[in-house]
Amino acid sequence: METEIVEKTTSASAMPVRRAIRFYDDAFFLPILAFLVVVLAGVLVLSMGTGATKIGLREVLTSLWMGHASHSTNSVILFEIRLPRVLASVLVGAALSVAGLLFQGLFRNPMADPYVIGSSGGAALGAGLGLFLLPRFSFLGFGAAASMAFVGSVATIALVYWLARTNGRVPVVTLLLAGFAVSTMLSYSTYFLVVLDDNFGLRTRVLASWLTGVISVPRWTQLEVTAAMIGCGLIFCFPLARRLNTLALGDEYARQVGVQVEKTHLAIILTGSLLTAAAVSLGGVISFVGLVVPHMARLVMGPDHVRLVPVTALAGAIFLVLADTLARTMLAPSEIPVGLLTAFIGGPFFLYLLRRTRREYTF
Amino acid sequence: MTSFLEFRGVSFSFGGNSALEDLNFTMEQGECVALIGPNGVGKTTLLRLAAGIVACAQGSVSLDGRRFDRLPRGAAARMVALVPQRFEVPFDFTVEQIVEQGRTPYLGLFSGLGRHDRIAVERALDLTSITSLRKRIFNELSGGERQRVKIALGLAQEPRLLLLDEPTQNLDLGRQLELLDCIRLLHDEGVTILAAMHDLQLIPGAFSSVLLLGPDREVRKGDPHDILQPEILERAFDCPPRRHPSLVAENRLPLEKTR
Repeated sequence: METEIVEKTTSASAMPVRRAIRFYDDAFFLPILAFLVVVLAGVLVLSMGTGATKIGLREVLTSLWMGHASHSTNSVILFEIRLPRVLASVLVGAALSVAGLLFQGLFRNPMADPYVIGSSGGAALGAGLGLFLLPRFSFLGFGAAASMAFVGSVATIALVYWLARTNGRVPVVTLLLAGFAVSTMLSYSTYFLVVLDDNFGLRTRVLASWLTGVISVPRWTQLEVTAAMIGCGLIFCFPLARRLNTLALGDEYARQVGVQVEKTHLAIILTGSLLTAAAVSLGGVISFVGLVVPHMARLVMGPDHVRLVPVTALAGAIFLVLADTLARTMLAPSEIPVGLLTAFIGGPFFLYLLRRTRREYTF
Repeated sequence: MTSFLEFRGVSFSFGGNSALEDLNFTMEQGECVALIGPNGVGKTTLLRLAAGIVACAQGSVSLDGRRFDRLPRGAAARMVALVPQRFEVPFDFTVEQIVEQGRTPYLGLFSGLGRHDRIAVERALDLTSITSLRKRIFNELSGGERQRVKIALGLAQEPRLLLLDEPTQNLDLGRQLELLDCIRLLHDEGVTILAAMHDLQLIPGAFSSVLLLGPDREVRKGDPHDILQPEILERAFDCPPRRHPSLVAENRLPLEKTR
């Protein structure tokens, strides 16, 4: 019997070629970093000029150059209102994005994000509890809110990590389910705090806005504390970045090449929590920033965490400054919470990713 | 004189079920050994013990005269590399980025790859003939290519002992031959190799000896032609006499037309 020769189909065997813009080569790294710094500077100046009172580019630049010298209205607006707020956006955006990057590496899962896995919710509840129970507490200059936000974030991630992990892996399904359940419980617990509080004063309003994510105008001391926390967090990221690359190949492999896997996981959880806690104590629970930004950075730069850490931090800062500027000007004179805006952008993006990752790579 | 790899009275169990019990065998430097045995007999466990990733409950495993339980993990990682059966990469790493991870045991937390590390990576890419794939995305490669990347990753560790878990699985005939050529080349380069193999027909010619883990704690080690005998294999694999094509010479491909 003759063997029939089936006509070769080209579609079956050919791998789908994904046309992402890729700058994997080392040569692109510094130019991209420089580009992001320039863009961030531009966005900062732009954001400081926009608002109810328009301030021209030249005036913003000269005021920044001269410092808080004159007592003109514009100078007060720039230095007392816009500059702290823009700096807060920079810090929150960078912190949440890098925290997202760390958690994605830890869970070996591109769907992880401080909001999705509940660490933001844990930080918010911790901060709320800190404000209510220990209003006078202070640790190394960090107030109750910041310290308790950190504790809340660490506890939540440890819990979700433990719930979601099966056979040394963290599958998308269990991660999302555990994160969803835990963060829902946490945010309703925070609401409960709001209800419990009988003097419906400042604290309640602070808490309520925390749950949607609002970058209000922070006090300078608050900025200094969170900047210190985020600075430390980012410094810790550099030794962790190389480890994240190794961990991406699996815990078993990492252990084989001499990585102390459990200690590294703990270090990642602590660093990510520090960043999340700092971000939450400034801006509350802002969703999906930690998902969208690292993902975009990875599409462009490739998955090498050593390069991703600085790129993600800068891109996150740019993203949140833009989002917050939009949030406070879109429906002027009223402001919409920036968390609402990031949810509108990030939600659909998250769903798109969820559809796409159904094709999971295994070998 | 002590052997290069030595298992002495090794027992290991998974949650009450003993996987290995009182296992003894030795391997000399420069040997290229195929590890065979029925499913579930503990081949993967043996490889993990030999890599020092898991500790045995009883007995001792030593490499070059040093017991794993007294060897820091980092030092062990500079001596032995295990190429796992399953290997998942969640992100779009390039081949080069993956193979560079093999240098981890030699790098500190802050240091990047040095000149010697680059040379080791180049050599690993070259030995597995994947230099041309270096900029490709690992997840977009074919099965045979990924298998080579995995081996290159192990070689980048510059191990004195290379452990392979089912290196020919999921490979077509041509890729199997390429892989065996690669193993032969490594053997000629002086790398000591222990590889779990399912396809017995591939063993003669590529491996210098065979380690058989049979049921009932039977362990045999010897020349491929002595171990790969129908009577021994039928008993070890609980296979009815002369039923499996591998055990009957005249059944080998190409099949002759009987009509």
